[in-house]
Amino acid sequence: MSFSTHYHLLVTLAGGLITTAGVVMLRKRWLTRQRSSSALLIAGWITVLAGAVVLAQAWGAELGTTYALGALSLAAYAVIAATYERRTSKARAPREAPYDPEERPSNWRRGVAKSLLAIVLAGIAAIGLGVAVAVNFPMPPQDRAVIGGLLVPILWGGGMAWTLCDPRLLRATIILLTVSAAGFAVAFLPKVLS
Amino acid sequence: MQDHTPQKARKKPFLAPDFVRAMLAGHSALGIAFAALIYIVCLTGTLCVFLHELQRWEQPDAPVASAPLTTEAAANAVEQGYRKARAANAAHDLFIMGPSPVQSRVLVNFHDHDTGVEGNWIANDKGELIVENTAPWSEFVGDLHMHLHLPRTFGLFLVGLTGVALLSSLVSGLLSHPRLFKDAFSLRWGGSRRLQEADLHNRLGVWGLPFHVVVSTTGALLGLSTLIVGVLALAAYDGDSEKAFATILGPHPTEDETAAPVPDIAAMIRAIQAEKQDAEFASANFGHIAKIGQIVHLGMRTPGHLANSNSYYFDGSGKRLGDGGLESGTIGQQILGALQPLHFGWFGGFAVKVVYAVLGLALTFVTHSGVAIWLARRRDAGRPTPFWETIWAAVTWGQPLAIAAAAIAIFSGGEAFALAAYAGTTVACLIAAPFAGDASRLTQLLRALSGIAILAAVALHGTLWASRATDPMFFWATAAMAACGLIVLASARHRPTV
Repeated sequence: MSFSTHYHLLVTLAGGLITTAGVVMLRKRWLTRQRSSSALLIAGWITVLAGAVVLAQAWGAELGTTYALGALSLAAYAVIAATYERRTSKARAPREAPYDPEERPSNWRRGVAKSLLAIVLAGIAAIGLGVAVAVNFPMPPQDRAVIGGLLVPILWGGGMAWTLCDPRLLRATIILLTVSAAGFAVAFLPKVLS
Repeated sequence: MQDHTPQKARKKPFLAPDFVRAMLAGHSALGIAFAALIYIVCLTGTLCVFLHELQRWEQPDAPVASAPLTTEAAANAVEQGYRKARAANAAHDLFIMGPSPVQSRVLVNFHDHDTGVEGNWIANDKGELIVENTAPWSEFVGDLHMHLHLPRTFGLFLVGLTGVALLSSLVSGLLSHPRLFKDAFSLRWGGSRRLQEADLHNRLGVWGLPFHVVVSTTGALLGLSTLIVGVLALAAYDGDSEKAFATILGPHPTEDETAAPVPDIAAMIRAIQAEKQDAEFASANFGHIAKIGQIVHLGMRTPGHLANSNSYYFDGSGKRLGDGGLESGTIGQQILGALQPLHFGWFGGFAVKVVYAVLGLALTFVTHSGVAIWLARRRDAGRPTPFWETIWAAVTWGQPLAIAAAAIAIFSGGEAFALAAYAGTTVACLIAAPFAGDASRLTQLLRALSGIAILAAVALHGTLWASRATDPMFFWATAAMAACGLIVLASARHRPTV
């Protein structure tokens, strides 16, 4: 292996270890959160950030940041796996009662209506807004097309989550219809005006 | 994320209980509606991270090239590819891909989109075409992930919608998690199955969130791109999708079919390397090759970027038409370049693939446990649904079995039987599930069958190739897959609790 490969391996390892140390500090703060101050919390996150900086030094900001996020996930998984609590009694009740999902009146018509709202109408609204950005945003055409496109799944996913948790179908319908109309109006306005 | 405990009364909850319950209701509804699709896409997506390695395992007598392709070798691959394409009467579009940190082969593809004739070849590091590229099982798994073997446009849309549903589940899961910080490191194992599953579901979900958000967003965008660009074309390009795609992906060839010489790829590579000395050849795409309207997209890679390469555009005379900026252009260009590598974990090298596999398996487990928690909650509330418990067990463990069955069908009978074996196994598992007694017994049975099927597929492939394999990946992948089969088989020794 070349010097460069050795250097990258060592620095990556160091970045991973620093990130893990940060996660361990966060867990320590989490264990003693009733008594300790925020110092450990801040130190933990600063150490995680330091791990990211080390990885960015080795690989550049673009790859280093990506590696740092992966390292954070893996370090947390490892710390959780190493410190799990074994419970032996099946009859032992949970410490506190869990939340349960809201009980709602439900029938197939309501189910179909919710599905149409969450999948179809939220999708139309998201595409309308995304294309509006792709057509009108003050950026070069390629940039605004990509950013507008990227907004579609994000807005659609958010709209879907909100629609499904909102028990009032009419409110969701009105808002989604309004957003759809506004989005498509803005998207097609330049074409109509030209 | 599911199943949380409220904070003590003296403290104001982080999220209002009514809001959390409403979010949980939405999260449950969405999860149940899309669970099977999300599970299949996540499981196959995890396999697809290793698609290049699986292709090498499947065809282990083909040449391997680890160093970047030299200029002369790239030019030779273009020349030989074009000659082969002409012989096959398919000299329309030609694509050459060199080795990179994520894959170790020189691939040559040509196709004529009018006649549908295409050819896929593997070349050596000198650019000489050596053997036809055939990896039907890898292709089967890739297609299952990308369009579920449905008609392509509809399948892509459905997978894109599944990505949206997954993203939405992540949002609603996070917002229905009032103890996000309080339970940040809590994993209680044993005792209540529901609590155990909920802890694992939440910890894997929350700490893996950057990965989960990235793969679901990029996957949704890749799946929905045809639809989005279609609407964009209507709004801004007079309904011309090709024109809209050209704005995003770079210039397309014109339809003028007048014959012209194939442009000099070596000169193009040298021109880029004169500007960027560390640039290496990654790929070359000749649209309408040897026609007057031809366009070349030359992919050249420099280190330190997520994008596999930047695209440089040339016309048929070799004149530079600009570049895609995929490595260091504007924000939109860089996002475009990073989409596919970020989605599949195809950047950086093998270590990144291992990390992606771990996180992909975590997401697959989060999907599985989400439904398991919902079923356990119903059981705890005195409203068990044994039918759906067995169906979910059949979905969860029927998929590894069905994918392994497709491999056995391909290795024993040929590519034509793959889809029938996969679909037949999936349907058989679902139909037989309610008759299996209870879900834990069915899970145990399907784990055993999955483990045996994986081992059988590996053994069958091994007997076909052991004496001819020259690629070390054959041995590594065989060992890894056999280990997976043994782990799955060993997990069937204990009957899981429901």
